[in-house]
Order: sequence, then structure tokens, then C-alpha cells
Amino acid sequence: MSGIQRGVFAIRIDRNYCKACGLCTAWCPQGVIVEDADLYPVTPGIANCINCKLCERHCPDFAIEVLPPEHPDHPIHASAG
Amino acid sequence: MNLQTSVIIRDYLRPAMLPTTWCPGCGLGIIMSSIAQAIHYQGLRKDDVAMISGIGCTGRMSGYMDFNSIHTTHGRAPAFATGLKMARPDMHVFVIMGDGDAMSIGGNHLLSAMRRNIDVTAIVVNNSIYGLTGGQTSPTTPRDSKTATARHRTFERAMELEVLARAAGAPFFARATVNHTASLTKLVERAMQISGFALIEVISNCHVLYGRMNDTPEAATMIARMDVQTWRSTPALQKRAERAVRMTAAGATPVEPEDVDGFEGMSSDQRKDRGVIIENRGSVGFSRRYHSLLEELGNDRRSGGE
Repeated sequence: MSGIQRGVFAIRIDRNYCKACGLCTAWCPQGVIVEDADLYPVTPGIANCINCKLCERHCPDFAIEVLPPEHPDHPIHASAG
Repeated sequence: MNLQTSVIIRDYLRPAMLPTTWCPGCGLGIIMSSIAQAIHYQGLRKDDVAMISGIGCTGRMSGYMDFNSIHTTHGRAPAFATGLKMARPDMHVFVIMGDGDAMSIGGNHLLSAMRRNIDVTAIVVNNSIYGLTGGQTSPTTPRDSKTATARHRTFERAMELEVLARAAGAPFFARATVNHTASLTKLVERAMQISGFALIEVISNCHVLYGRMNDTPEAATMIARMDVQTWRSTPALQKRAERAVRMTAAGATPVEPEDVDGFEGMSSDQRKDRGVIIENRGSVGFSRRYHSLLEELGNDRRSGGE
């Protein structure tokens, strides 16, 4: 019923706000978020995201956001429209 | 507990002021997010909330949050809050202070506000150091830690805000950390429901100035370590909190418990409680008492004149 869903969530990272502190990569329990060469977070494993929102709640700079599929900014709406 | 970040930015922050000037990984942003969520879940209007801050890294928070805000002089935020609460008793007043701001420079103001039981929600962010001015030793710096002004390690005992709150008679005291974000939001919500001086100590991180000299230069390790440095208080501890303050003499030797292992070399006795520590639901705040007294006096004067 309300089991863990994967593969339906998207993560939006705002590079204007992000300071590359590494908190989101440290807290992600599924290894979704990793650091790129400039230590900024990137999400290669987005299919594993379980919407725990630990990254969003621990981001001190309001730069990261987990988007549920019903959110208008989710990429599935962009491809449809 | 799933308020989207974009909603927080849109509704409760001033986006033109972002990004913040705080260091990367500073816990103050997490606290800001928690306060916004608590106000959202309590259903307060933005115009009914005032945020008053002192000087220091925490002082900038009143500028970033889109409430009625006053950025006051160093340590005097409780004094300004008293005035505001007297003039506008309908407004919910938040006071946000740092540890040096609240406990050393504004110690007298904090103490008087607690004794008077002013209706404010005070949040003291404890990062163990004077962050803005370059990492000097503050009243809450733990013993035997290196700071910019104590290169050969500090020798003063760290001050306990909990004991101060109990001595001054604050009706609500809770301790939270920036690691446990959901609990922080809930504690802020609970403090907002108290009539009187509700004090929350939030343990934050200063990995740039404090951690770099004390083996935790990374924000993530310093925040994760709060999980072993604090523990969630239980109902049994709640009972202990209701007992009278027991002061330990300066020269007394601390009793070492037998199970020392398991907490990265620190004994279980050194861990701090997390959660609500003092809660007096029956407290009546100063402004409510003051205005009822004014009403009584007005009635007396009217009846006396007739």
C-alpha cells in the first residue's frame, strides 16, 4: 500500500544558492546525491530516491528540493507539455 | 512535515537577500527553515509575527526572514522584545540570539526577561564560540577546547543555559540540535504555545572556527556528532528536571559511570538531554498579567470617579 516508492521523484538543485557544503551528500541514505568535481551535488542515482527529504531538511541554504510527481515543476510535466 | 523549500522561500524569506552570508554548512539555515515551518504549521499570519535579533551571525536571520523584524544592539534583543510585546500584545514575538549574545553580553537582559516572564519565544543558538568576530572563547565553549583566544586550550567550565533557565524560573526550556530537524520544528511549535518566556537552546555547528581547531573541520561530521553528544530525554528525566537545582561544587570530583565505552570516548554522563526539559503549562505571561492589571486599575479609577 504505502510502501517505499522509487523512481518517481525528482531533485532540483539551485546552483545560485548552493554553497557546496556537502551536507546533502553526507545525509542521503540511498547514495542518490554525489559530489561533482567542484564539490557541488549532482543526482546520477535519482531512480533510487525514496523521498525521505533528509537533504531538503538539512540544506542550510534552501538550495535543494525533492519534487513529488504531482509538483508542477517535476520534469514529467515538462515533457508532456 | 513536508513543506517544500520553494514554499518556504516564497512565503517566509526575502529571496532578494539570499543566498545567506553564513559559511557553507552553517546550521543557522536549518534553524531558519525550522522556524518558518513551525510558524506555517501553527497557522500564524506573517504580519502577526515579529523577529528580533541581536548582533552576531544569528543577528542576520531577522533580515532574511520576511516578518516584522528588528536588528538590535548586542545582547539587548530581550529588552527590545519586552517593549514590543508591551506595545503590541497581539503580536507573536521571536527572539533569536547567539550564545555569546545571550549569555555573556546580554546575560542580564536574558535573565531579567526570564524572571519577568515576558511572552516571547526565545531561541538561543549555541555554537560554542563567538562566530562572527573570529572564534573567541564564549561562555559555552567546552573545557579543554582550542579557540582563537585560547591556543593552549580553555580552562573555564562551560556555562549551562538549562541551569540558568531553571534558576531564573523560565516556564519552558527545551534543547534541540540542528541534526534532528523534525524535532527542532516540533519543539519550536511547542514553545510557541507557552504563555511566558519559552527558551529553546539549539546546538549548532561552527566547523569553520571551532571545528577546525578541534578535529571536526567538516560540517557533516560535526553535525552528525551531535547525535552521540546529546540524547533524547525520557519521562524519567522529566521527573528529574522538576527537582530543585543541585549545584556541584567547583572542586568536587565527578563520579565516573562504569559504562564509558560506546560514545566516542565520552561517558554517558557527559551527554546532554535533548527535548523538552522544563515545561510549566500553567504559566501566565507578563503582558497578559500587565494588561489585566491595567484593566482593573481603569475600572477602579472609573468607579472611584463616579
